[in-house]
Amino acid sequence: MAASKLQSFWNHPAGPKTIFFWAPTVKWGISIANVVDFSEPAERISYPQQVALMCTGLIYSRFSMVITPKNWNLFGNSIFMAGTGLYQVTRKIRHDYMAELTEAKEQSQKSLRSQDLH
Amino acid sequence: MASFRAFWNSPVGPKTTHFWGPVANWGFVAAGLADINKPPELISGNMTGAMCIYSALFMRFAWMVQPRNYLLLACHVSNETVQLYQLSRWAKGQGKQTEHPMAIKYNA
Repeated sequence: MAASKLQSFWNHPAGPKTIFFWAPTVKWGISIANVVDFSEPAERISYPQQVALMCTGLIYSRFSMVITPKNWNLFGNSIFMAGTGLYQVTRKIRHDYMAELTEAKEQSQKSLRSQDLH
Repeated sequence: MASFRAFWNSPVGPKTTHFWGPVANWGFVAAGLADINKPPELISGNMTGAMCIYSALFMRFAWMVQPRNYLLLACHVSNETVQLYQLSRWAKGQGKQTEHPMAIKYNA
């Protein structure tokens, strides 16, 4: 029973002997690379690249549901890719713009404290 | 005019997602070109390497899929070129991290 299922998967026209299996599988590598890059400093994030990832992810989420047959693997992959892109973009925005705000806050608190000493 | 209308109303035309899917993939090429002069320290080896593998496989996918998708093929050939170039820049920069001209030297 299990053997014939495995055989039908192995010999499938979009199975592991074909590019139609491996190309979408390898596409997960992009999202995984992005997740690994979560721990990299925010200076190294590229806005154009992450925005491209978000847009590709969103467009292919819809694409995967509109083609026949529906491709749930591609759907999950695309949603995940868009999510990682969104997270990286917010990380970088926080680093680029919010970091100035927290720095300014610290400076003003420091000057207030030095005034208290008088 | 008639050919534009045919394109506009095509079942794989700009009113459908079948068009915008491959167009979205050109975004990777555009992003790569936008970053072409970025200092190598800022390139992500993980992402660029993953892109190289991804585009290599999808070139074959675009060729073998029925019907053959030349637009997708062109997109991934371009992306492969750009990403391999960025990967080579990243690799060259790997051994030279400490010699960046902006690096502050505290010797003497």
